[in-house]
Amino acid sequence: MSAHQEGRDGFFIGWSDRLPRGLGRFLLVLAVLVVGGVSLLGLALSGGVEDPGSGDFDWAAGERTLQGVLTAQPYPVLWLPPAPGRPRAHGVLLSGNGKAGVPIDPATMEGRLVEATGLMLRRGTIEMMQVKGDPTPRDPTVAPDGGSGALVAEPVPLGRWRMVGEICDGKCYAGAMRPSTGLSHRACANLCLIGGIPPVFVSAGAIEGTSFFLMADKDGRRLPDGVRDLVALRVQLEGEVERRGDLLVFKVDLDRARVL
Amino acid sequence: MSASHKPVGWNRTKVLYDAALLAAVAGYILAYLWVGPLIQRTSLPLDEQTLAMKAYGSCAFLMLTLVLCVGPLARLDRRFLPVLYNRRHFGVITFAVAAAHALHVLGWYFAYSHLPQTEALLAADTSYGQLRGFPFIPFGIAALLVLAVLAATSHDFWLSFLTPPVWKALHMGVYAAYALVVMHTALGALQSATNPALAVVVALSVALVGGLHVAAGARERDGAVARAAEVEPGWMATTTVDAIPEDGAVVVHLPDGEPVAVFRHGGRLSAVTNLCAHQNGPLGEGRVVDGCITCPWHGFQYRLEDGCAPPPFTERIATYRLKLDGRRVLLDPRPNAPGTRVEPVPVPGAAA
Ligand code: FES
Repeated sequence: MSAHQEGRDGFFIGWSDRLPRGLGRFLLVLAVLVVGGVSLLGLALSGGVEDPGSGDFDWAAGERTLQGVLTAQPYPVLWLPPAPGRPRAHGVLLSGNGKAGVPIDPATMEGRLVEATGLMLRRGTIEMMQVKGDPTPRDPTVAPDGGSGALVAEPVPLGRWRMVGEICDGKCYAGAMRPSTGLSHRACANLCLIGGIPPVFVSAGAIEGTSFFLMADKDGRRLPDGVRDLVALRVQLEGEVERRGDLLVFKVDLDRARVL
Repeated sequence: MSASHKPVGWNRTKVLYDAALLAAVAGYILAYLWVGPLIQRTSLPLDEQTLAMKAYGSCAFLMLTLVLCVGPLARLDRRFLPVLYNRRHFGVITFAVAAAHALHVLGWYFAYSHLPQTEALLAADTSYGQLRGFPFIPFGIAALLVLAVLAATSHDFWLSFLTPPVWKALHMGVYAAYALVVMHTALGALQSATNPALAVVVALSVALVGGLHVAAGARERDGAVARAAEVEPGWMATTTVDAIPEDGAVVVHLPDGEPVAVFRHGGRLSAVTNLCAHQNGPLGEGRVVDGCITCPWHGFQYRLEDGCAPPPFTERIATYRLKLDGRRVLLDPRPNAPGTRVEPVPVPGAAA
């Protein structure tokens, strides 16, 4: 093949090792622009990722053992007694390993004093324990406050509210995953709920200084499966809010829920 | 002619091509995963897995965008033809990047559950009755399956097994994959994006792919393309002798849509199908090199007088009969069997 013909009109023939004059430089410039351009684009997109919040496992503390009173409804919570600087009983949400809740039989465990061991997850005021094994019952007579009644304070009604926000799974939100909100994470959040992890509502506004709520149905029980259609979306929910210890529980009237 | 006898396996062009391609992929992914976190303004870093999902997912989207731009770009500016030359490797690497995205999603969002992953895929998101929150993952799975089929059939074995027209039609599925990926992104990542950067990138990408296809289509309409019309029984008027560049062609569309390339070389005219026997490449956009029609896509060659590839190659394409009516070129629209010899028609007054 003659160089004359090959070079004509910049006609490129892939199997020929000789490039038409000028084309080599064009392709080199193109390659440099593309490699440089996409690298900058990757950097820009990565630099602009959303803030996933500050939730994380408390790796530094390692496994801890806590003693408190267990409640199973709407979802398992371990109540720690008030302490200096903490005037109310402190509710620690419970989960199992991975995307599983703690299997608790309310008939035998509700209101009992138990000991639970596991890793803590924390995001702001929210605390969750990833329980290793099962919580072990302790003799109720040695309860730190002398009886579970005082520990799990009577629910205080805070009225009926309409709130805008997002339903998340309590474990990812507390720090098991970053980010843990948004539609991309939806399937994961739903798998957590299927596994029995407590759902939480993160509202745009705050009630009594908190914008984080443990969720229940309007009668204070576990939410039905249908709630999964509302997870990870901007939703408007309505229902009664009540305070138990330092946790706010949002008893949602799902019939009135709206996707925004 | 010796150069054309090289088997088309690995060659320097392909090695350089793949090197540039892999450098671009590595540049993007490393910038996203390693450099990006240095400038992210977040309370705590994102999970590595989530960041990887974002990096590989957006990379696959951009690669699909670019691979779809290559065809029209090469039409609009011949200097992009080398990018088209090894487009199949581009496609296979795109599939690999998309698969990396899917594996990261499976290994994070769909792992650690008591449900097996396949069951979890079906159970985790079933909100088909609503627009906001309509499941976006099935679109991604469908796109990945299409890309998998295209990658698996990209080898020349499948090309000859399926025949070029079927193979080409199958590989048009890349447009379906792109549409699915756009839906996957629009219903998924864009819904939870907290800044508009990704939406801007997706919108610009779709506009670029669409715009380039429209521009290339327009160029094809007013370019070296003619429509044939019957002027005497069995003969159709196509173009004029003077419209055909030396060593180039004018593409003629027959009434049934069949494209024919009328070439001029050494003062003589020959007509062959415009569809290359390799991957249906547009022969009329090629050149005559060493007395052979040379396909612009991968350089397959055919002799002007009989449409046969020079030995040792065996590809053949259909030829057509031509005659002149003054300066008008008349064509018999019935194709000859591939490889049929047709004596080239001398152009009066042209130097051979
Ligand atoms: S299409 Fe590949 S060489 Fe013509």
